[in-house]
Amino acid sequence: MTLLSGLIFTIGLGLLLIVVIKSLIFEQVLTGGIGSIILEQAPNDVGTANIVSSVLLAYRGLDTLGELTVLFVAATAVGLVLGQPRPDAPRDPDAGFILRSAADLLFPFMIILGAYIILHGHLTPGGGFQGGAILAAAFFIPILASPSSPLNHKVSSLVEGLAGSAFILIGLLALFDKGYFLAPLLGTGEVGELFSAGSLPLLYLAVGLKVGAELAGLLARLHETEV
Amino acid sequence: MNAIWLVILPILGAFLLPLVYRQNTRVGTWIGPFILGLSLILAFGLWGDIAANGVQTILMGGFPAPVGIVFYVDHLALLFVIMLVLGTLVLWLGKEKGNIQEETLLLLIVAGGSGLVLSGDLFNIYVFYEIVAVASYGLAASRGSYAASLRFLILGALGSSLLLLGIALIYAITGTLNLAHLATHPEILQGTVGLTAFALILIGLGVKAELFPVNTWVPEVYTTASARISALLGGLISKMALLVILRLLVLLYDTSAAHLLLLTLGVLGVITGELAAMRATHLRQVLAYSSIGQLGLVAIAFSIPGPAGIIAGIALALHHALVKPALFMLTKAWGKQLSHLAGASQSLLTTILFLVLALSLIGIPPLPGFWAKFLLLKGALATNIAAYQMVITVVLIATVIETIYFMRIVRVMFNTKPPPIKAPALQELVPALVFVTLLFISVLNLGTIGKSLEIVATSAADKSIYMNFLPL
Amino acid sequence: MEETAGIYFFSYSGALGLILLGVFAMVTSRHIIRIILGLMLLEAGVNLFLIIIGYRANAIAPIIVEGQNAAMVDPIPQALVLTAIVIGVAVQALALALVIKTYKAYGTLDTKELAQRIAEESGTHVIDGIPTEEKQV
Repeated sequence: MTLLSGLIFTIGLGLLLIVVIKSLIFEQVLTGGIGSIILEQAPNDVGTANIVSSVLLAYRGLDTLGELTVLFVAATAVGLVLGQPRPDAPRDPDAGFILRSAADLLFPFMIILGAYIILHGHLTPGGGFQGGAILAAAFFIPILASPSSPLNHKVSSLVEGLAGSAFILIGLLALFDKGYFLAPLLGTGEVGELFSAGSLPLLYLAVGLKVGAELAGLLARLHETEV
Repeated sequence: MNAIWLVILPILGAFLLPLVYRQNTRVGTWIGPFILGLSLILAFGLWGDIAANGVQTILMGGFPAPVGIVFYVDHLALLFVIMLVLGTLVLWLGKEKGNIQEETLLLLIVAGGSGLVLSGDLFNIYVFYEIVAVASYGLAASRGSYAASLRFLILGALGSSLLLLGIALIYAITGTLNLAHLATHPEILQGTVGLTAFALILIGLGVKAELFPVNTWVPEVYTTASARISALLGGLISKMALLVILRLLVLLYDTSAAHLLLLTLGVLGVITGELAAMRATHLRQVLAYSSIGQLGLVAIAFSIPGPAGIIAGIALALHHALVKPALFMLTKAWGKQLSHLAGASQSLLTTILFLVLALSLIGIPPLPGFWAKFLLLKGALATNIAAYQMVITVVLIATVIETIYFMRIVRVMFNTKPPPIKAPALQELVPALVFVTLLFISVLNLGTIGKSLEIVATSAADKSIYMNFLPL
Repeated sequence: MEETAGIYFFSYSGALGLILLGVFAMVTSRHIIRIILGLMLLEAGVNLFLIIIGYRANAIAPIIVEGQNAAMVDPIPQALVLTAIVIGVAVQALALALVIKTYKAYGTLDTKELAQRIAEESGTHVIDGIPTEEKQV
């Protein structure tokens, strides 16, 4: 019964989408949407070499704030669902010497790589989310290698709260200075330089720290829960 | 004054709430109500601003309309923001005990809901919708009802993905996401691709709006979650999604095909919801199914073209937003089998409140529920389209069924044979009392409210006001 | 033009396949882990669909390099996909947390069985979304 109705629903959706895709490919698609306008204006408006990051943080900065908020909502909800682990809960034994040493060795390199990707987000592919994910991995790998030394959730939630507030505060500074929330500040600089694109690298730093702290906290929470 | 504060303030508060709680619990407990109160004052200030100077648009980052994200602040959006913030503030009074995470999620759901109705950009609407959705999955699980929340999450995530697919289709054929910019070329969206996109978006938003095929989560979540969360999700959050659907209908899909699609879903929602409510044996389930029915009525009203339908829809939505949370909070102590309600009439105040709310929901004059349903009938009659004339029958049948199941509850309440159940303490009734007081205030001012609703609806139905802000 | 249509055809077919596979898995499976895997496929399909929309023939990634004047692909879908991926991760994390707790509480991950258990706990019997009369105790 479920199988049959599911099959019918899927086939119906499939036929509909095939018709849609056929008309997407063969019919005249409206050109000159907002994408081409942005490609033209972004270097002067925002001054990033990587135009995707000027879309993310300048033209659609509110989406990025919303996305950080979704991540924060999920982390809060996971905290609510899983609750505090009991302090006397049994933990997995530590991994062997090789794994622990490798985790310790990897840690500084991953931090550097994450920081590099965050700070060069306005120039090259990458940015706050990608770098933040690497930062989170840097903190999570040692936990996997030696579960007896867990993540300090107080520190991670402090970083999380402050980085998120910093993103909003930069946006509010722009509101008071230029009258628009999240407007680019501090000029554009020379396109392609490390110190360019005004306040955008600062926003990316806030995003990177927030994503890193959030993901590390989430992963650690899931890992600490005994099944 | 800037409407962006309505979204930013709760988010900022939620980010800082855990940190403040760790420093000082007493200050922490007051942050939530303080921020909601501040938002309420801001919203009322903006209301006056708009009444004096007309509709505002707020550019994010200072980029002009089609390129950057835009907020449209008109009376309709503000009305729903005020409803959400005020409702959450009242529900805050009925809080059982302080829970940091639950308070954080409540602030975030308010931020998401406000952004949802203010935003004028399709993808931004998706992002705010996800904030609301994820927060509601978390809140639904706050009482330990993990399985119900998980089933809710699966349906919601399927809906959200289809919503995103619909938005992607619209971007593929038009190259823009801005609602006003899209409204300048409505003919592009009338083809197969555009209507498919509308259907996908309707499924996605319908999960929160409790529309017909995707509302199976409603009875499960409302019976297992705490009364406060059920009141919030059913009474307030669902209306935000319906408002977005109304916006899309007015601005992008002003065609009979789209209107009829929403009408069909609304009618099916009313019929299935009311019939299921009649068969339900659990008080919370009765309320949940009746909520599906009432939201179906709002969907029917919104599907009527022109301002008459919008007025009726707003009236029904506002009325339901007052009555349903009040009923949930009132019956918090009784949330049990209907047969266990015998002797509930021992507590006089509770009985009177329940009677007033139930009668208003059924639509007995002079209570506002009658007036809202009357507006719906008037709007449907005025269209001269056969489908809408048929709707009148559906609405009347639904009213009869509502009368049957509410009167059955009342009959059980006055049955005194088994030992009477414990009467709820006065303190627990505070939120319900506040809602009923608001209801009575609205009865006394029906004339003024009707006039201002008419102004709100006429400006909302006029899409040229939206497009005026495009620098094209 | 012919060439572009071919590229579009193949890539759209890939996205369509992922979407349909995901939807099929979500609506027919009863095991929640499989449903979540279906959800991941569906999200991947929608994201791929968004990326293809931004494709332009013979265009490069939207990054300005000196001395490079080629056309660039549409940057907006790329930014949208980045946002959508992060949102998807957030939802999946919450889903897995709920799975852990649900399994601990009920010992099963079968959706039908869970629906029965939820109904029993609240004292009603719901079969396929329709409440039935209370069982006589």
